[in-house]
Amino acid sequence: MHFLSKYAKKYWKLFSTAVFFLMCEALCDLMQPAILSKIIDVGVASRNMPYVLKMGGVMLFITACGAVAASLRSTLASIVSQNFGAELRSDLFRKIQALSFQNINRFDRASLITRLTNDVTQVQSFINGLMRMFVKAPLLAIGALIMAVRLDPQLSVVLAVVVPIVIIFIIVNMRLGFPLFMKVQKALDRVNGIMREYLSGVRVVKAFNQFQFEVEKFSVANRRLQERSTSSIRIMSIFSPAILLTVNFGIVAILWMGGFGVNNGTMKVGHIIAFINYMTQISTSLMMISMVFNMFVRARASTFRIGEVFAVEEKTSPNRLKHEVTGEKGRIDFENVTFSYTGRVQDAVLKNITFTIYPGETVGIIGSTGSGKSTLVNLIPRFYDVTGGSLKVDGMDVRDFHPHDLREKIALVPQKNILFTGSVRENIQWGNDRAGMDEIERAARLAEAHDFIAAAPEGYDTMIGQSGVNFSGGQKQRISIARALVRHPEILILDDSTSAVDVATEMRIKAALKRYAKGMTCLLIAQRITSVMDTDKIIVLEKGEVAGLGTHEELLRASHVYQEIYQSQMGKEVLQDGRTNERI
Amino acid sequence: MAGQTNGYKGNQAPGPFLRMGRPGGGGAARFRGPAEKPKQFKGTLKRLWAYFGRERNGLSVILALIVADSVLTLCIPYFIGRAVDAMPPGRKVHFNLLEIMIFVLTAAYIADAVLTFLQGWLVAGVSQRIVQRLRSHLFQKLQKLPVSFFDARTHGELMSRLSNDIDNVSNTISQSTTQLMSGVIALLGTLMMMIILSPVLTVASLCTVPLVFLLTRTIAKRTSVLFKNNQAELGRLNGHIEETISGIEVVKAFNHEEKAIKKFEEVNQSLLKVGLRAQIWSGFLMPLMNVINNFGFAMVAVVGGVLALKGMITVGVIASFLTYSRQFVRPLNNLANIFNVLQSGVAGAERVFDILDEKEEPEDAREAIVLRDPKGHVVFENVSFGYREDVPIIKNISFEAKPGTRTALVGPTGAGKTTIVNLLTRFYDVTEGRIFIDGKDIRAYTRDSLRRSFGFVLQDTYLFSGTIKENIKYGNPEAADEEVEEAARLAHADIFINRMPDKYETILSENGGNLSQGQRQLLAIARVFLAKPALLILDEATSSIDTRTERFIQDALLSMMEGRTSFIIAHRLNTIRDADHIMVIDHGQIIEQGSHDELMAHRGRYYHMFYNQFKNMGEG
Repeated sequence: MHFLSKYAKKYWKLFSTAVFFLMCEALCDLMQPAILSKIIDVGVASRNMPYVLKMGGVMLFITACGAVAASLRSTLASIVSQNFGAELRSDLFRKIQALSFQNINRFDRASLITRLTNDVTQVQSFINGLMRMFVKAPLLAIGALIMAVRLDPQLSVVLAVVVPIVIIFIIVNMRLGFPLFMKVQKALDRVNGIMREYLSGVRVVKAFNQFQFEVEKFSVANRRLQERSTSSIRIMSIFSPAILLTVNFGIVAILWMGGFGVNNGTMKVGHIIAFINYMTQISTSLMMISMVFNMFVRARASTFRIGEVFAVEEKTSPNRLKHEVTGEKGRIDFENVTFSYTGRVQDAVLKNITFTIYPGETVGIIGSTGSGKSTLVNLIPRFYDVTGGSLKVDGMDVRDFHPHDLREKIALVPQKNILFTGSVRENIQWGNDRAGMDEIERAARLAEAHDFIAAAPEGYDTMIGQSGVNFSGGQKQRISIARALVRHPEILILDDSTSAVDVATEMRIKAALKRYAKGMTCLLIAQRITSVMDTDKIIVLEKGEVAGLGTHEELLRASHVYQEIYQSQMGKEVLQDGRTNERI
Repeated sequence: MAGQTNGYKGNQAPGPFLRMGRPGGGGAARFRGPAEKPKQFKGTLKRLWAYFGRERNGLSVILALIVADSVLTLCIPYFIGRAVDAMPPGRKVHFNLLEIMIFVLTAAYIADAVLTFLQGWLVAGVSQRIVQRLRSHLFQKLQKLPVSFFDARTHGELMSRLSNDIDNVSNTISQSTTQLMSGVIALLGTLMMMIILSPVLTVASLCTVPLVFLLTRTIAKRTSVLFKNNQAELGRLNGHIEETISGIEVVKAFNHEEKAIKKFEEVNQSLLKVGLRAQIWSGFLMPLMNVINNFGFAMVAVVGGVLALKGMITVGVIASFLTYSRQFVRPLNNLANIFNVLQSGVAGAERVFDILDEKEEPEDAREAIVLRDPKGHVVFENVSFGYREDVPIIKNISFEAKPGTRTALVGPTGAGKTTIVNLLTRFYDVTEGRIFIDGKDIRAYTRDSLRRSFGFVLQDTYLFSGTIKENIKYGNPEAADEEVEEAARLAHADIFINRMPDKYETILSENGGNLSQGQRQLLAIARVFLAKPALLILDEATSSIDTRTERFIQDALLSMMEGRTSFIIAHRLNTIRDADHIMVIDHGQIIEQGSHDELMAHRGRYYHMFYNQFKNMGEG
């Protein structure tokens, strides 16, 4: 909850002003019963018509003042709550963007989105309500209490009994409510999560014809949400009538006592009417207070969830000062690097990795599933920090770089295609805002993407939906490559990015890269041995360790693992086929 | 007084809907500008009401409770009035009357509390069930929509409707239901009592009602537009959030955090502006209502005073009347409020109904037959197709795959290979030509049976957040555990599964995020092994797995393909070399077809592709 203090400091002045107006409003409201009682007791009883009219006028005047105060208060309240909500959302978004991968993956993505939308709105609504009536209610209640006590101390005994009982009810209400609402939000998360998953996997669901299965899965979650919501609302709904009843008993008591009082001549009827009015006022206010606490409990659950994100501390060491790069541009050194996602040595997915990639080299990285290729490559832009050893880029440890500067040098084409809503041009421009159309086209040509883009009806202005639906897998990959190329990076990383591209096209891309980027260091993670066969050197990874390092020929001679891979794809017989053809 | 909330619950966060201007994008993406009022206000209300239909019993009981409670509430001020009359100013107190009234009042209050509680209890059940039903319908509807619908929209957009909009409707329903019913009854009942007490005074208080109407309409006109705008902006924001959080790796890799934040701010500010205006306008409602109300009270007090002076009514009547007046304006205020709240609720409901109105996948023809024990004889006859009418992807393709054969589709990306698969399974329907399976046009079969006869291993894996076992069983929910393990073994997934602490009970995170890409592919393959379909489609399935593991899988797939018609789309010539029939596809047409030997002898496209792959072999 500490994160809230920042906003409290910023907005408290406006908040207080709003509350001040609220008080004026409340005051005006409070005076009504008194004036009414005067009209009756003084005006009517003594048949003083002018007095009645005068007091009527006063009442209207006070009402008008109240309305002005209320409008001002309402406007202020809107300003405060809306601005607060926008700021909170913005800060939360920034926080999420700044989180390291390790930390982001602690949260379910759908949950992060829910927190940014639904939870922020809950808190915002609560703050808003606070200034609208939630503060008014206690004020009115207290005001009515004061007026009532002043009016007739004897009758106030009733209040002394009623009020504490109500307070107890409210406290119990709150205690019960919080855990209930947390459960409701969790159930909501689950429902949203299922919907989200389904949207991602529509084709597969249809392909496996698992309509029934999906619907049932959803039903279960849906039902749980419904049950939890229902029970939480029901439990909370006991308290309002209970509170009301308590106050109403108070009214009855007043009438009873009033009877005696009037009989003895110690009380005036007008007082009793006014007192009852105040009790009514108090009861309404208490109802509202009870509702406030309901909302508060909800908001508290949301605040807690938002707070969880803000509370995440980055484990990585703080960025050290920017140094001037002294080493060779595009050089990468792995020095005895070990890495584990959990930080524990037993779970290391990379062990004792040592090699050097020289500027301008094209290096292939190959290995079986889960051998650590993507992990290795994710260390270079510092998506994760090494657990042991040191990783240097341009001769400097990556931890000495500001991540921003480090990533400026690197262009990554990830394994999974991620394109965004927008035109093809915008997507490619993502890699480099300053790129003009000709640069974009050039990058597209190099990536063998220009032809099919130009062939599309709107060309570069063709819109791409989520994940780029209009284009085939291989085409999306090429757009991703263009996006990386337009960046003019020192280091280009292609993480299995030509898997969906056919061999011939891949050849052309590689040739273009060779021509275009002589000084660019290029890392190629691939499954096809043909993709890496012609690179300057190849790193073979096996179970997180370097199992071979060298050129294709060297590895074919010396590395058992490499031989296996080679044969499994090429096959001994194919070797002969190919050679036969070549000779002819 | 019934326990009604006098509340105006601040701005809701009503459902947003992101519209992407997609030029001719597939599916019926209707285009609605932001500044529209909920056009079919009444129509939407009616449809919402239909959901209440099933709750008829519950609603009737609630109604009865409300009526009873309202009657009580109406009488209470009267009782209070009589009790006060038992204490005439300056004279003796009639204790008998007082005692009776007090007794009656106590009973009334207790009854009121019980009735209110019961109301709350029942309403909670009713409203939550309605929302549950709405959610369920939506989800079921989604199952029936064609793939083109999903392809044309962003996830954030759809999610918004499914979560924010339904939340909005849910809030509106729970808030408005009782208040509406009780409000109307209270209003009418109170009015009746007031007339009975004193027609003159009633007229005095009612003079404010037209003002209330005017005020409500003026404000609602403005706020309805503003709420719609609010939702639109919220939708945009949601879409942006969804994208940048889903694709956060790319955002970081490209140093795009600042830009993502900037765009966020832009939409956030936009939302702020609209939200602020909506709020401020809504905020004028209550204060102004108050003024009008108090004016009414003043009138009552003054006119009442005059009448009392003339001896036409008693002081007790004024007291009762004032209480009734208060009781009259409360539901009036609530109704005005509800009208406002309904604006946003209805807008939200409209967006939900938009989806419910979407065109589903065309029904199977009535005479559709179930495809049983397919032999797997596939024929494409002059098939043409394009996702968009002006962009044909496939032109006039014809080929035949005999039962049990392996057909390989090769060619550059975008040539139409995946599209052929889409057509085979009727994710999309051909524009021209026909596709036959076992001699019948595939449109003659039920979609269910058609799809069930295929086994897919697609480019994108879909795994869900359940256990590994559940994910594999997706292929056949009835399978026994041993079958699951056997399937995993065949797919070579058992190795990594057994290395995990919970083995088959390991829970996967969203879309299997805690596994590597390759491992996910293996699970997807195991899933197919379990399903044992009659026809197989492998769409670049094993591209993400390294060639070593792939070799093992190849063997397993080979044995699985025994006797089954299969279609393989891969780029690795090695994997298709052994196919019975190879088709080279480019620019939507079949360039060459034949067996590997035939095509190599032909020295055409295939020959060159194959040759290129080994160009750099050298003396390996």
